[in-house]
Amino acid sequence: MQQPAPGDGGRAISSLYPPPASLAAEHRVIEDPEWSLATVPHLTDLCLQHIIHNFGKNPVLNRLLPEHQRKVLDRLSTDVPLAVTANLIRDEDYWKRCCTERWQVCDISNYGGSWKRMFMERHLENVVKRFIPNSTDPNQVLELIPLCKDYVRKLEVDQFLPPLQVDQKEEMDDDDTGSDFGDDEVSMHHYDIGVLITALPHLEELHLTYGMKDCGMNFEWNLFDFTHQDCCNLAVALKKCHNLKVFKLTRSKVDDNQTRLLVRNLLDHPCLVELNLSHNLIRDKGAQAVGKLINCSRLETLDLCNNQIHHEGAQALAQALAENSTLTSLNLRLNCLEDKGGEAIGHALLTNTTLKSIHLGSNNLSEPTATVFSQVLAQNTTLTNINFSCNHLGLDGGKQLLDGLANNKTLTEFDLRLAEVGQETEYLIHQIVWANREVARLGSLQNAPAKPL
Amino acid sequence: MSARLDAKRRAALGEDAEPKAVEEEEQRRSHKEIEESGQRLAKLLFEGTQMVTNIQVAADLQETQRRAEEAELKLRRLERLEKEAKSGTAMFAEITSRWALATERTIPQELWQLLDRQQQRCTRLLEQKNQLISDLQQELKNKDEQYVQAIKQQSDDINLLLERMEEQIRTMLKTYRHKLLQIEKAFELERRELLDSNKKKWEEAIQAHNTQELEYIHTRLRKVEEFEKQLKQLLLQDEEEYNSMKIQLEIEVQNLEKQLQQMKAAYQLTQEKLDFNLQVLRKQDEENAIIRSQQKRKINRLYTIFSNLRTKLAKQEQQFREEGQSLTTHCERIMAKCKVVQRKMRHFALSDSEKFTEVWLMNEEEAKGLMRKALDADFVIHTQQLGLHWEEPHYWFLNNVGPLGCYKAKRRATELAAQILTGGTHSALEEREKEMEKVGSEGGGKENTMKAEDKVAPLRNICKKTAKRILELVSDESGFLLEGKQLRLLQALGRDDRILMKLDSIFGALGIDSEDDLHQLLDFFLHYKAREVTVRQSQGSPGGDVTDPAEDREHGGSSPQRDELKLPQSPPASLPSASIRTDDVLRILNAFMWDFNKPREKDESPKDVLPERDSSRDEEYWAALAHVIPQPVLKLWDALAAALEEYYNVLTSRATLLAETSVLQQQNSELCVLLEEYVSSRVNSELLCPPTKWMDLSLACPREAQRAPKAKAEML
Repeated sequence: MQQPAPGDGGRAISSLYPPPASLAAEHRVIEDPEWSLATVPHLTDLCLQHIIHNFGKNPVLNRLLPEHQRKVLDRLSTDVPLAVTANLIRDEDYWKRCCTERWQVCDISNYGGSWKRMFMERHLENVVKRFIPNSTDPNQVLELIPLCKDYVRKLEVDQFLPPLQVDQKEEMDDDDTGSDFGDDEVSMHHYDIGVLITALPHLEELHLTYGMKDCGMNFEWNLFDFTHQDCCNLAVALKKCHNLKVFKLTRSKVDDNQTRLLVRNLLDHPCLVELNLSHNLIRDKGAQAVGKLINCSRLETLDLCNNQIHHEGAQALAQALAENSTLTSLNLRLNCLEDKGGEAIGHALLTNTTLKSIHLGSNNLSEPTATVFSQVLAQNTTLTNINFSCNHLGLDGGKQLLDGLANNKTLTEFDLRLAEVGQETEYLIHQIVWANREVARLGSLQNAPAKPL
Repeated sequence: MSARLDAKRRAALGEDAEPKAVEEEEQRRSHKEIEESGQRLAKLLFEGTQMVTNIQVAADLQETQRRAEEAELKLRRLERLEKEAKSGTAMFAEITSRWALATERTIPQELWQLLDRQQQRCTRLLEQKNQLISDLQQELKNKDEQYVQAIKQQSDDINLLLERMEEQIRTMLKTYRHKLLQIEKAFELERRELLDSNKKKWEEAIQAHNTQELEYIHTRLRKVEEFEKQLKQLLLQDEEEYNSMKIQLEIEVQNLEKQLQQMKAAYQLTQEKLDFNLQVLRKQDEENAIIRSQQKRKINRLYTIFSNLRTKLAKQEQQFREEGQSLTTHCERIMAKCKVVQRKMRHFALSDSEKFTEVWLMNEEEAKGLMRKALDADFVIHTQQLGLHWEEPHYWFLNNVGPLGCYKAKRRATELAAQILTGGTHSALEEREKEMEKVGSEGGGKENTMKAEDKVAPLRNICKKTAKRILELVSDESGFLLEGKQLRLLQALGRDDRILMKLDSIFGALGIDSEDDLHQLLDFFLHYKAREVTVRQSQGSPGGDVTDPAEDREHGGSSPQRDELKLPQSPPASLPSASIRTDDVLRILNAFMWDFNKPREKDESPKDVLPERDSSRDEEYWAALAHVIPQPVLKLWDALAAALEEYYNVLTSRATLLAETSVLQQQNSELCVLLEEYVSSRVNSELLCPPTKWMDLSLACPREAQRAPKAKAEML
């Protein structure tokens, strides 16, 4: 009685499953005296198994019943080519498996809670990071574009490999002394990311670092060059990215001319809200260009930390700041503004009513700036966060700031560490700021009591 | 990080509960706990972040310091390099300057010395440079070492940072957990307290409820008993009621059954009736159906008739329209005919009137002849027969010639003008007539009256002279109304003729047609004048319009020139005309034309129609003609006739008598002769008594008788 049914099943399965191993297993099952029907997998399961095995060649998913879809997705291998799965599978669990198998650390909160987006973005980032101009096939990237263009919203590329021949690179890897070989004649342009980002319609964030990671003892300065050609390509591409909101170009040796070129292309950008040019080589000219950009765009956050902006650039920024009504956060840490620049910015803050946070740490500021800022603290009612750390304000400057702060009710953070203002003053200022912060906390609680974090 | 987030979330949750707690109970322990922990946690967080960021700040400071040092070193290095470069260039300059000396040296030793010195200098320069290079390389090495140190330090810093972060996370987690536990405990405690208090309340409430329940049960039992009693009573009552009701109802049932039977009977009756009615109605229905079909047929028929009638009506309308058209054409034709007829009629009327006047004149002539005859007879009768004085009777109709009521056709204006202008001839004629009148004194009376009439007619109340003067003025001043050619032609004519011709054309131009119009014109001139005169208040001489025939006659025969000359001599008559200045003529004419055209327009239409002849007086006229001899005269004539008849008879008888007498006289005479013969005869004398004696007497008598009739005739 049991003979024909498994036999039929075996034949049916054998027709579905050409490998002889399964047939052998069936035979073994048949001969097994303790064999029971309960252990025989259902035909649907077998079919699903088959589908899963051949998913790369024949992706059947949407025509299946929901429960079967579920099973297929649970068991589908993460090695199935992306070309098949990218636009077919929406299931988050599958993509979660893909991500966790590929990367150890996966913080989904940075990707809008979408595993698929995370996978796509990181995959694309990896491809771009490993792209070597003139040697890697550009189609490698271009083929990915139609697959991931609907999902990529943020692109973080912290490495651009320079165009070197593979053998040269190997040679370099092998031989430290041959590093000078062919440096002069090879153009150092990096991969033109414009091709990619202009093809991504939903791109909102772009973080770029023109440099190399883990070069070890093969370090050479020209590996970190951000060439003019790169800058041109990037600038032209940026103009076409209409949905771009956040743009970060850090640690890339961006100089004044390049800044001006970028700014010229970013003028009147419809969406750009945050601009980060920290850890570059921007001087006063570049700062002037950025100052022009502030009032010709919708920028809210500007980060220029660790550049070489002196008082002229600071004055240009201050002039822009005085008329501006969009910028809320300005970071000028680790520049050389000195008192002239600090005073200019302080005067600008007397009229500005939008800026909430300003970072002037490590800028060689001293007492004159402190006097101006004491006035600012007395008048301005929007600033909540000021950072004066690592300046030489001196004891008198600290006292003036304390006087200015006496009637201020809005400032909630005031960093005066290593500013030589004296412990007593620092403590008193801390008390005032702490009180303000308590008031703000309670106020925010009362205003939005049922707002979950 | 996640732990911190978690803690934050929890804190937020705790804080979420806070306001509710505030609402419920202000001084709640959990609330206080949360507040406190919130503050502490915030402080902890702040301190933690301070700790963590301290490293960054320190690094920043180091970096700035490094940069400052770097800048200083760079500056120093640059200075040194510059100094070096300066000294180097100086030395190089020295060396190069020495080379110039070398060419001057000819002695080999000196040259060698020089070269040796140069070499020494070069080596010194090179040494200096090498020194610098080695210094810089040393610096670079130092820098490298510093870099390595910095890297080490930074890695240490980062390690420290990581440690601190982990530590912070740990402490934060711990404190958060701790705080959470505390808060939970506080909540637990609170909950327990609440539970206890609620339990107490609950028990109290339950006890109260139980006691109440007992009370309720008691009252209920009491009520049950009462109700049972009531029920029994009610049962009894109801049973009685039921019985009585039953009896009543049975009776009622019987009654109703009776009624039912009656109703059944009535029903049957009514059913039969209704059946009958139904049948009748059905029949009626059938009839109605028949009638309806008939009516339908009738309607159809009527429809067909109606359509026929409509077509007929259309046809009729067509016909009538055509007829109307033919009739209108007919009517037009008739109108044309009528016009022709009217024209003919007018023509005939004219001819009739002419004929009529002719006939009238003829008859009148005849009648007048007869009348004349009668009058002559009357005259003869009166004068010859009766010997009375006869007077010619003066009757109105005697002078009438032509048909009555038909006044003379109005003369044309030009004729009148001509008449006025040619007043001289006219008056001459008049004069002649006057003479004639005087000659024929007896019949002149009649003509006199006619004359008077004639004179008045042409110039109603206007002096002829004035009129003439006006017309002359008009003709002179309104020459512009004529054509140039005509004027030239007129030059050839005499003055009067010229004026007349001019006037003719002027009247033609002004539209003055009839005699009346001319009169109007003249009147207008005079009125205008009079107005001006009154305005002027000049010495009044209103006698201008009173014309005495004598004066008229005086001026009558004179020529116009003389007339003009005489003008100043007769101021009263000529003043008005003289005072019409030539300048005014045109103005007056203009005003006249303005007034004149108004009435003219009105009575344009009835001009053609001949005036209806009034025949009422004809009979009278003819009768008057017939009775020209009055009744008394006729009577007289009758009496005369009768008397004459008698007279005639007498005369005839007398004649006969005369004949007899003559016969008798003859006889007598014969007898006398005989007698005489007898007497004379000697016979007589012979007789005793002669016959002659008595016969004498008889002879004397006839002679007297003859004389008597003669007297009588004379008497008659």
